[in-house]
Amino acid sequence: MIEIDWSKFAVVAGVVLLASVVLTAFYSGGVRLLETAGATSTAARIGAYACFAVCVAAVLFGLWVIVPQFH
Amino acid sequence: MDTTLLVTVVLVVVFALVFDFTNGFHDTANAMATSVATGALKPRTAVVIAGVLNLVGAFLSTEVANTISSGIIKTDSSGDEMITPALIFAGLVGAIVWNLVTWYFGLPSSSSHALFGGLIGAAILGAGVGAISWSGVITSILIPALLAPIVAGVAALIGTVIVYRTTRQATVPHAKPAFRVAQTVSASLVALAHGTSDAQKTMGVITLTLIAANVQPADSGPQFWVILACGLAIGLGTAIGGFRIMRTVGVKITPVESPQGFAAETASAATILASSHLGFPLSTTQVVSGSIVGVGLGKRLAAVHWDVAGRIGLGWLFTLPAAAVVGAIAAWAASSSTIGLVAVAVVAVAGVAVIFRLASKKPVNAGNVNEGAPEASPQLQGAAA
Repeated sequence: MIEIDWSKFAVVAGVVLLASVVLTAFYSGGVRLLETAGATSTAARIGAYACFAVCVAAVLFGLWVIVPQFH
Repeated sequence: MDTTLLVTVVLVVVFALVFDFTNGFHDTANAMATSVATGALKPRTAVVIAGVLNLVGAFLSTEVANTISSGIIKTDSSGDEMITPALIFAGLVGAIVWNLVTWYFGLPSSSSHALFGGLIGAAILGAGVGAISWSGVITSILIPALLAPIVAGVAALIGTVIVYRTTRQATVPHAKPAFRVAQTVSASLVALAHGTSDAQKTMGVITLTLIAANVQPADSGPQFWVILACGLAIGLGTAIGGFRIMRTVGVKITPVESPQGFAAETASAATILASSHLGFPLSTTQVVSGSIVGVGLGKRLAAVHWDVAGRIGLGWLFTLPAAAVVGAIAAWAASSSTIGLVAVAVVAVAGVAVIFRLASKKPVNAGNVNEGAPEASPQLQGAAA
């Protein structure tokens, strides 16, 4: 009988879906907020930069995962 | 070292580097096809970035280079690999030939599956069916091959819907340039991850052969020249660019716009990083192809060309067995004598030359990589006219 660790696959699928949803939502949210901020709203501009910051953090985390010297 | 062993070791090193090179230009499309298709990067810029990142990636990590077969080919009772240098050479021939055949047809197929297929075919002929760990084949190859495109495709589909909803079908100002930047960043992560995983397979092949030939001690890691040569081979292959396959992935499956390119590359990068970090590496090629189909399905009125997708799927199905058959034939000839070994090398080189000659008659290069999209539907053509 072949033992298959399905939980591993489920974890990967879950992480992938979560990461994709979070990243696309934050990045496109940032783009949308920048448009709103185009007029005068400082709050929208800060919100947009906060959204982009989340994405930059995710990219840095991705680099950390790729480069084994970091962990 | 006797002559046969010396010839074998030299041939393995040379053919391993040739395989690494084909791996590079076969897989350029994985990271860069969508960026080229959406105009985020010029074709030549894209392949050079991917090539440099592959080279950098090769130096970052050598931890899996110590196992060539990821538990697919068994070790005997004393813990030695059941595969000999001559069989490794035959496996490489199978992998190279299949990689070039699929490249000729512009099919994005997994280079890793070609390598595993070649080695499995050679191992079955040389050491018997018992040398293959079939549970390893199922858990490391079959199930990931089924799941990779589905997981990445669903993630890319949801990402595309989110992106288009949030940005009013990407009509807000600066949306397209912003997505081009984002897609280049995520594509670069894919290229870097590709370098760390794929260059290592070749390092593993060469290192194990050197160990088997008693040139370097058992349980030692790859030597510096092996790391450098493998990094250069895959980086050079990538930078020369597999525009044939890039055209299929970037243009023929579905027309890709920059928001979709962003969603696809994000889903691909997330899938590749999550899977390799959490235990089982997925085929980069299959992940990216799945993502592209996903973003095609995620955009309203975008057409996925299922005939193209079907042909790619068929290519995946045949990759392992086809490479295995070539590997087995090569193993049969190569294990007979030194002359047989050299004859296989000569025939393989001739085969490679023929494929390149055929390909040069219908070249795909930086100039025409975005042409050849399937006919748009009549309504769309009418709207454009």
